[in-house]
Amino acid sequence: MSTTAAPTPSIPPEPVRWSLPARLVTAFSGLPALVLKIVLLALVNAAAIWAGAHLANAEKWPAVGALVVATVAVDVVFLVPRRTLPLKFLVPGMVFLLAFQLIPIAYTAQIAFTNYSTGHILSKDEAISTIRETSLAAPPDAKAYTLAPAFDANDELVLLLVDEVSGNTYIGTRDGLQRLPEEGATVEGGLVTAAAGYRIVRGAELFALDRELSNYRVPVEGGAVRPEGIDGAVELRPTLRYDAEDDTFTRIASGRVFRDDGEGSYAASGGETLEPGWKTTVGWGNFSRVVNDRLIRDPFLRVFVWTVVFATLTVLLSFALGLLLAITLDKKFRFQRFYRTVFVIPYAIPSFLTLLVWAGLLNDDFGVVNRVLGTSIPWLFDPWWAKVSIVIVSLWLTFPYFFLVSLGALQSIPGELVEAARVDGAGPWQVFRRITLPLLLVAVAPLLIASFAFNFNNFNNIFLLTGGNPPTEDQSIAGSTDILISYTYKLAFTAGKGTDYALASTVSIFIFLIVALISAVAFWRSKSLEALS
Amino acid sequence: MSKRKWRVGTVALVATGCVVVLAAAPGVPARVAPETTSATTPTVVIWTDRDREADIKSLAEAWARPRGLTVQVIAKAEQNNVRSDFVTVQAANAPDVITGAHDWVGELAANGSILPLSPRQAVLKQIPKYTRDAFSYGRTVSQLYGMPTHIENVGLFVNTQLAKVPKNWADLEKQALAFKKKGGGRVAIDVQQGTGGDAYHMYPFFSGLCGYIFGKTKGGALNPNDVGLDSKRFIRNATLVDRWNRLGLVNSKIDGNTASQLFTSKKAAFWITGPWNIDTVRKAGIKFRIVQVPAIRCRSVPFVGVGGMMVTRFSRTHGVESAAKDFVASYMASAAAQNTLTVKNGRYPANTTAAKSVTDVALRQIGQAGAGGVPMPNIPQMASVWNDLGLAWVKSTRGAGATKAQPSFRAAARAIRQKIKG
Repeated sequence: MSTTAAPTPSIPPEPVRWSLPARLVTAFSGLPALVLKIVLLALVNAAAIWAGAHLANAEKWPAVGALVVATVAVDVVFLVPRRTLPLKFLVPGMVFLLAFQLIPIAYTAQIAFTNYSTGHILSKDEAISTIRETSLAAPPDAKAYTLAPAFDANDELVLLLVDEVSGNTYIGTRDGLQRLPEEGATVEGGLVTAAAGYRIVRGAELFALDRELSNYRVPVEGGAVRPEGIDGAVELRPTLRYDAEDDTFTRIASGRVFRDDGEGSYAASGGETLEPGWKTTVGWGNFSRVVNDRLIRDPFLRVFVWTVVFATLTVLLSFALGLLLAITLDKKFRFQRFYRTVFVIPYAIPSFLTLLVWAGLLNDDFGVVNRVLGTSIPWLFDPWWAKVSIVIVSLWLTFPYFFLVSLGALQSIPGELVEAARVDGAGPWQVFRRITLPLLLVAVAPLLIASFAFNFNNFNNIFLLTGGNPPTEDQSIAGSTDILISYTYKLAFTAGKGTDYALASTVSIFIFLIVALISAVAFWRSKSLEALS
Repeated sequence: MSKRKWRVGTVALVATGCVVVLAAAPGVPARVAPETTSATTPTVVIWTDRDREADIKSLAEAWARPRGLTVQVIAKAEQNNVRSDFVTVQAANAPDVITGAHDWVGELAANGSILPLSPRQAVLKQIPKYTRDAFSYGRTVSQLYGMPTHIENVGLFVNTQLAKVPKNWADLEKQALAFKKKGGGRVAIDVQQGTGGDAYHMYPFFSGLCGYIFGKTKGGALNPNDVGLDSKRFIRNATLVDRWNRLGLVNSKIDGNTASQLFTSKKAAFWITGPWNIDTVRKAGIKFRIVQVPAIRCRSVPFVGVGGMMVTRFSRTHGVESAAKDFVASYMASAAAQNTLTVKNGRYPANTTAAKSVTDVALRQIGQAGAGGVPMPNIPQMASVWNDLGLAWVKSTRGAGATKAQPSFRAAARAIRQKIKG
C-alpha cells in the first residue's frame, strides 16, 4: 500500500528572466563569436607579421624571436581544442605582462651591465669619427673664407673662395688652393657671384649637394679648408692623429698617446680621456660600485629603513582609517551617501595637484596650516617634521582607496556569523577582532601587499612634497626624506657628471629584488588566511 | 560537420583574413636600405618647445622656401623635454636642429651629439662674445657648439610706489628692513628658494660676496677641479649671510608661488626674478623699475641663461648638414630673425643690432641688469652643484634654527668635490 499524497500539480517553472549581460553573452555565443574570433586572430597575426617585417628590417633578431614565439603561442591557445581553456582567459593579461613588465625589466637589466651615461652614448665607430671631427682646430693664423660652390668645365665641384680679411679670391679643388685672378670673378657683398669658366650652384641644387659639400676637403699646408654651411669655409688643422692599426689617438703637439681603456673611452696614461666615449659593457662594474662606493653605499641603509617605515605606516594607517570610516558609514543614516562621496574626493583629485597644494599649505611662514593652528611648526624644513608631513599627506591620498575596498569587502561578510557571535555573548570589539577582521583580511590582504609595493616606490609623494629634502647634516646625495627610488633619481641625474642611466638601472634592479622578496614573503604568509574561508 | 573540419576551416579563415589585412595595410617594407638617397626635397627636422613653435615654424619656412627645402617643426611640451628626448634618441626619429639652453652644451658635446659651428666673421661680430662663450665647450680646444638667440637673467624688481630704487647695498638693506618692520606679513627682499633651494635666483648674492663656482684654466675653459664655494674670499664674506638671517633680510621659506604673491599683493617692495614675470607684475598694476642687485663686496652679477639653437650629428646622416648649419649659424644669427623670435615674445635678443630695437622699457632694463652677468657653467659637472649650493643657502637663511653660513658652504663644497670625483 502506498500512501500517496495528492499529486502535486506540476507547476511549470517560472520563465527565468535573464539579466542583460547574460543575454548578451548568449547572443554572442555560436556563430557571431566564431566570426569575431577569426577576425581578431587575423588582425593579431597581421599586426605581428607587419611588426616582424619592420624588426627584421632593422635586424633586431631577439625582438623578432620574441614576437614569433608570442604569436605562435596565441594562435595555439585559441585554435587548438579545449585543453587550453583557462589560458584563453589569461592570454591577454600575459601578453601585456610580457610587453610592459618583462621586456622593460630585461632591457633595464641589460643596460645595468653597460656604461650608458653622459659621454658614453655613441657606438665606438661613431665616437672615433666624432673625436676626429672635434679635434680639428683653427690654427692661430687661420684664414676664414666666404664660399660659393661651383661646377667647372668638367662638371667637377670646386669651391670659389674669398678671403674674409684680405679679399683675395681663390679657387679650391681637391688638389689644393689656387689664386683666382681678379678679372676672372665678380665679387658682390663678399661672395663670388660670377666667374669665367665656372657655373655657380644656386638654389635647390645647392642642397642636393649637401653630402658632397660636407665631405669636401681642400688640402693646404698642415690641414685643410672645408665648407661650413653653404656660404663659408674655414681652415682647420687636426690636433689628434688616429692610428687605425693600433687603435690609438696621438696628440700631435705633445705626442701623448690615448688608448682604448676597456671602459668606453680613449685614455692616456696620466688619466686624461678624450670625449666622447662610447657605450660598452662593463660587466658587474655598476653593481660593485653600488656595493663598494661609499658615496652610494652609506646612505643606502638609512634610505632603505625609511622607505620600509614610510610604506608600512602609509598602508597600515590608511587601512585603519579607511576601515573605520567604512564600518561607521555601513549603517543607513541621514546623509550617508553624501559622506561616502565626500570621503572619496581626495582619491579622485590627481595626486600631482594635491601634493603641490599641500606643499604650499605646509609652508612654515606663509602656509595656511600654521596660520590656522597658530603654530610655527617647520613642517617641511625639519627632518622629523618632514617625515610626519609626508605620512600625513600620503594618508590623505590613500585612505579613500581602502575606504572603498573595505566598504565592498564588508558586504561579503555573512550577517549570520555576526548574529551567531552576538548570541554567544561576544562584545563589539570581539566580533570585530575575531570575525570581521580575519574575513576582511582574506579579501584585502593582496591589496595591502600591492599598496605596500606601490608606496615603496612612491616617487611622486616624496619628490613633489619635499623633493627628498631637508638635507642631512653631511649633505649626502640622499636627503632626510628620500626613499630608494627618489634616491636613485638623484644618483642618476643630479650627482656627478650629467646623467648616468646605467647606475640608475642597477639601483632599480636592487630595488626590484627587495620589493619582489618582500611581496613574495607576504603572499606566502597570507596563504594561511585562506584556511579561514 | 565534424569538429576536425571546423578546426581546419577556422584556421584557413584566419589565414585568409590575415592576408587580406596585410594587403590593405600600409606596405610591409621590403629590404629597404636605411639611408635612402631620396630624390625628393631634403627635409630639415627641427625640435623646439610649444612656446616657440609658431615663431620657429614661420622663420624656418621663410628660410626654406627660397632655398627649395622643406622643414618639419616638431614641438615638445617643454624645453626640458627637448633635452631629455634628444639625449637618447635613435637615428630614425632624430632632429637635425634643436632649440635649447646653453647649459646643455656640455653634456651634449661630451656625448658627441652636436656639431661644432664656425660662423662667418660678419655674423660673429653681431653676437656678444660672452654669449658665444656660453655656447662653447671643449676640454682642450674650446669650440662653438650653438648660435645664441636670446639671453635672460634675473634682476631686482623695485615697486616704485613703495620704495625708491636703491643707490647701493646699504640703502637697499635699510629700505627693505624698514618695509618689513611695518608688519602684516611683509618681507624685506623677496627671492624664491623653497625646500629644495634655488641657486639660480640666489646667485646675485653669491657673486656679490665674491663667490665663484668653477675657476677657469689657462686656456679659458671651465675647470671642474677648482670649486670656488669655499674660496677664501667668499668664506670671509659669508659671515654677512648670518647677519642677513638674523635681521630677516632673506627668508628661505619663500617658494616660487609665494614670492610672486607677495610682490603682487604689495607685501614686498623688492623682488628678484626674471623677465618671465614682467607680465604678471604689469597685470597687477604695479609701477616698477628693474635694476641689478647693488654690489655687496663685489658686483652682484646674476646668472645669465643664453638660449640658442644647435645642429645635431644626425644632420650629417640625413644629408642636410650644410643646410642645417646655414639655418642656425647664418640665418638665425641675423637681427631680423632674432627680432621675430625673441623681442616679440618679451625676451632679450643676443644679436646686438636686434637688441637696439627693443622698445619694451622693462625688457631693456632687465637686459641692462644682466650686464657683466656670468653664464651658467655648461659642463656636465654642474649637475652636482645646483642641489648642494641651493641647499647651502636654504640652511643658512632659514630664520630660526639656521646653520651658520661658513660651515654650510664648506660642507657644500666638500660634497660637490666628492660627487665630481666619484
